[in-house]
Amino acid sequence: MNDTVVVLTIAGAIGAGTPLALAALGEILTERAGVMNLGIEGMMLIGGVFGIVGATATGNPWVGLVLGALAAAGMALVHALLAVGLRVSQIVSGLALVIVGTGLSSYLGKIPEPPLTDRQAVANFHDLFPRQLADLPVVGPIVFGHDPIVYVAVALAALVSVYLFRTRPGLALRAVGEDPATADANGIRVSMVRYVHTALGGVFAGIGGAYLTIQLTGIWQNGITAGYGWIAFALVPFSGWRPWRAIAAAYVFGALTNLSFTLQIVGVRVPSQLLAVLPFVLTIVVLITISLRQGSARNLAAPAALSVPYDRERR
Amino acid sequence: MTATRRVIVEPRGRPSLFTRVLVPFVAILGAAAIGALLLAATGHPPGEAYANMLESAFGSDLAIVRTLISATPLILTALAAAVAFRMKIWNIGAEGQLYLGAIAASGVALLGGGTWPAVLAIVGALVAGVIGGAGWAALAAFPRAYLRTDEVITTLMLNFVALYLMNYLIFGSKSFWRDKERLSFPSGRFIPDDTFLPTVWLRLHIGFVIACAVALLLWWLLRSSTWGFDLRVIGDSVPAARYAGMQVPRTIVWVLIVSGAIAGLAGAVLVLGTTHALQPGGLAIGLGYTGIVVAAVSRSNPLTIVPAAILIAGLTNAGTALQILEVPNDIVVLLQGLALLLVAAAEFLLHNRVRIAWRPASTAEEASAA
Repeated sequence: MNDTVVVLTIAGAIGAGTPLALAALGEILTERAGVMNLGIEGMMLIGGVFGIVGATATGNPWVGLVLGALAAAGMALVHALLAVGLRVSQIVSGLALVIVGTGLSSYLGKIPEPPLTDRQAVANFHDLFPRQLADLPVVGPIVFGHDPIVYVAVALAALVSVYLFRTRPGLALRAVGEDPATADANGIRVSMVRYVHTALGGVFAGIGGAYLTIQLTGIWQNGITAGYGWIAFALVPFSGWRPWRAIAAAYVFGALTNLSFTLQIVGVRVPSQLLAVLPFVLTIVVLITISLRQGSARNLAAPAALSVPYDRERR
Repeated sequence: MTATRRVIVEPRGRPSLFTRVLVPFVAILGAAAIGALLLAATGHPPGEAYANMLESAFGSDLAIVRTLISATPLILTALAAAVAFRMKIWNIGAEGQLYLGAIAASGVALLGGGTWPAVLAIVGALVAGVIGGAGWAALAAFPRAYLRTDEVITTLMLNFVALYLMNYLIFGSKSFWRDKERLSFPSGRFIPDDTFLPTVWLRLHIGFVIACAVALLLWWLLRSSTWGFDLRVIGDSVPAARYAGMQVPRTIVWVLIVSGAIAGLAGAVLVLGTTHALQPGGLAIGLGYTGIVVAAVSRSNPLTIVPAAILIAGLTNAGTALQILEVPNDIVVLLQGLALLLVAAAEFLLHNRVRIAWRPASTAEEASAA
């Protein structure tokens, strides 16, 4: 019963959706502060390469995860320095980050002896729950059959949601993203909030990238994220900048990334490109729908000050 | 009572020509220095690597030709980005518009090559590329102009739709574009020889001349035409433009279509001049994204874009020289990214003076982050 296509697909979707969810949650924090970071793909690649270095060097996947998170946070801080500090266009700085991340991760992957690309699977995470629970019919593989990071991602979605909508710092964060001049007048340190949440976005993307290489692929290859960072970026507007919607959508998008194999098993031939394109098409459709109904869907719209640099002298 | 530090940022007047040339130059040297540190730290002598890179990018006629060929589509994607940025419209869809241009152009070249007169086939393919790119941009242009749907996200998403469309044509189906004789090793069908772009100097094809001509034309249009004036006014203030009677939504649609058309031309030139087939591997190399950054560091000035794109393209070709030294050539991508980041940062320092002032704590205001 646990081997049925439906159960396997759902369980697989949760695994594949987890790095997407992590990166998207981070980007929600960043964008809620009014900073758009297009560099997720680059940060995930850096997280991925450092993740595997940490995991292979110590044999402990958690070390890899932390190393990946820190490295990607460093990248995010570069973006913050440019976009918040120097008021460079956030789009330009974010895209440059993708280029740097792609080049740097590929270069670093070839430096160790033997190169990371020649190494076999590394120490990965074990399932959190005992076998007996994971063997339960249907709910076993779907609910209990995962490694700890899957549950960490769910917990983070809850945390980010509570933080955004139920705490004072979360309120300050949203104020900075909606109307930085007013936030500033209320004594909120706009630049500080933006720096911190851009760095946090990097931490989340780095964890996502490290999880991808340590757990899902088990190996490093150039450009291993293969567009995961861009799907995570799409998840943010798709979810209306909301954490719970983002993680749910991440599982759906995760399912789409490996659904074509599943469908082949049951004898349905759908071109993989058609499924792969769906996240992007759906995001366009959602955006246009929201802009068609300005009134009722306004609370799903982008933060008003998104990607607008804040210049105190010009408020 | 301790003194606190306060970072003061003050705008400069118009920077002198000397400063304007010096600052980007120093930024590029800075990128090279960071790269040198990384090379040295990983056991490769930087001096030797850089000498070889320079040699293989600009050291001989052949090297220069290779660099100019690589620069050609990059000049066009940067121009595509620049024209929209003038109006503060962010078209980050040049990547996808380029693919659509390549699909349309290779389609016409495959159709007409060998049967139509060569000039007709080439011009037809170029025009098809322009239309393909413009049409793809129009998908984002109308929602942006009439519904105010964020063009950053829609144009970005459309890049992936275009990418998967191109991949589908080559890898996922037995389409008109696919080489049916090599089904196990998917490849685009090669266009007939007579549709290759004619060369002007050694292997340098006419695409480079076309790109420079588009740069000149755009420079003139943005500087001296009413259209260019409208673009600037709308970019600075939509209400002012509306008050002056300008058709804001219509201009938005047009600027995005023109932007997409130029990106589509880049795809057409790339297919007819370089890849000679719809090859996802040779087309999907991030030219649209790099073009955006090139446009930004050139301050959207069409005439500055040409040398900037040539410099960045030179780096791409420098990669081959490194393999001889057993240096992973991925360092060139990193250097490109670093150069673009640092030049973008230098832009700020060009227009603002940053100094650190010390003052007693009693009068210190909250230091604004640099």
